[in-house]
Amino acid sequence: MDDDQQHLEQGNALMLACAGGDRDAFQRLYSIEAPRMLALARRFTGEQAAAEDAVQDTFVQVWRNAHRFRRERGSARAWLYSLLRYRLINQQRRGGQIGHQGLPGDDWPDPAPSPEQCSLLADRDRRLLDCLRGLRGERRRPILMAFYHGLTYEQIAEALAVPAGTIKSRVRSGLKGLQECLRL
Amino acid sequence: MIPQDHEERRLLIAEYVLGLHRGERAAEIKRWLAEDDEAGRLARRWREHWVGAADLLPPARPPARLWRRVAWETGLARPWWRSGWASVAVWRTVSAALLVAVVLLVGPLRQPAPVYTAVLQAPGESARPGWRITVSDAGDLRLTPLVKGQYAADRSVQFWTLAEADKGPRSLGLVEPGRSLVIPASRVGGVESGQLFELTLEPEGGSPEDRPTGPVLFIGRAVAL
Repeated sequence: MDDDQQHLEQGNALMLACAGGDRDAFQRLYSIEAPRMLALARRFTGEQAAAEDAVQDTFVQVWRNAHRFRRERGSARAWLYSLLRYRLINQQRRGGQIGHQGLPGDDWPDPAPSPEQCSLLADRDRRLLDCLRGLRGERRRPILMAFYHGLTYEQIAEALAVPAGTIKSRVRSGLKGLQECLRL
Repeated sequence: MIPQDHEERRLLIAEYVLGLHRGERAAEIKRWLAEDDEAGRLARRWREHWVGAADLLPPARPPARLWRRVAWETGLARPWWRSGWASVAVWRTVSAALLVAVVLLVGPLRQPAPVYTAVLQAPGESARPGWRITVSDAGDLRLTPLVKGQYAADRSVQFWTLAEADKGPRSLGLVEPGRSLVIPASRVGGVESGQLFELTLEPEGGSPEDRPTGPVLFIGRAVAL
């Protein structure tokens, strides 16, 4: 079993233990996932307090609904991040404010991640990174703005000062490319 | 309306997972994904891959308050100011410990003369000292066991102090049950009369937060000699 798979399985096992009321498992799950979730939430909101609120709400929701987790319907990590993004998107819609930090891929394709950074990434992450890097910048950037900042087509168009139709076309071409590259 | 074309459907799922659809349109796609197994499967596969995009971010260290808030909201813990540090039972224990400390330390601990001492006791057991603390005039702290404690192999005993209530507890490291420990002044950081010390039972390797997360085993307060 590779590291990526182990990480996923560990998350699944902890989530199942949470469903059984295991507090230690919940705390362990928090210790493992909260740093990355907070990073994503900060990227999304551009604000520490709002990011912490989102991560807090997500974990509270996880503890209360862990019994609904079904391994066959996806990994615990995918569930966690979906809950967090759903929460962040709602928070953004309610607040009507859009503030965020820069995209992690702003400097792609150069400088590329160092060999050390690449070696730390799990296989699945490397695949996604490779596929994203394979996209033309004009297609990759709006996709990353949607993922990391939670922006809609219209908001991306406004931020990039490009017509919404053009953005939609670029995103869909990019998603098609990703779909093929990831063999989805 | 959900398109009939296969490729259009696949793109719609990719857009939805990315969060590009909102409101009624998003609700319509969500219903479709719940009803259509194949569509639901593709959405799940996209979600699995996007976790990888989150992993590309450098992790951000969550502040200790975030776990406290989560633990409080889920009912797993009380805020620290309402926990062992400040409960009535603990303060009763601490008060009793002061008396025991004086009795224990007169005489044998005069060489070299400690300037502070504390006796740590199990909460609610005021007549049973568990550990003794002495602080030399150079500021070095010695922690001496008065009982033999045994704990599960996957747990660690951690030593904490609370000098200033608004800054919260500070770890002084892990403790091996039944064995003395000397902590240099540079790590102790100064002791004042009334300063609280406690030992807590934590996950193996110590608390995952910069505050105690496990039950209080022993607690006591420094007394000037």
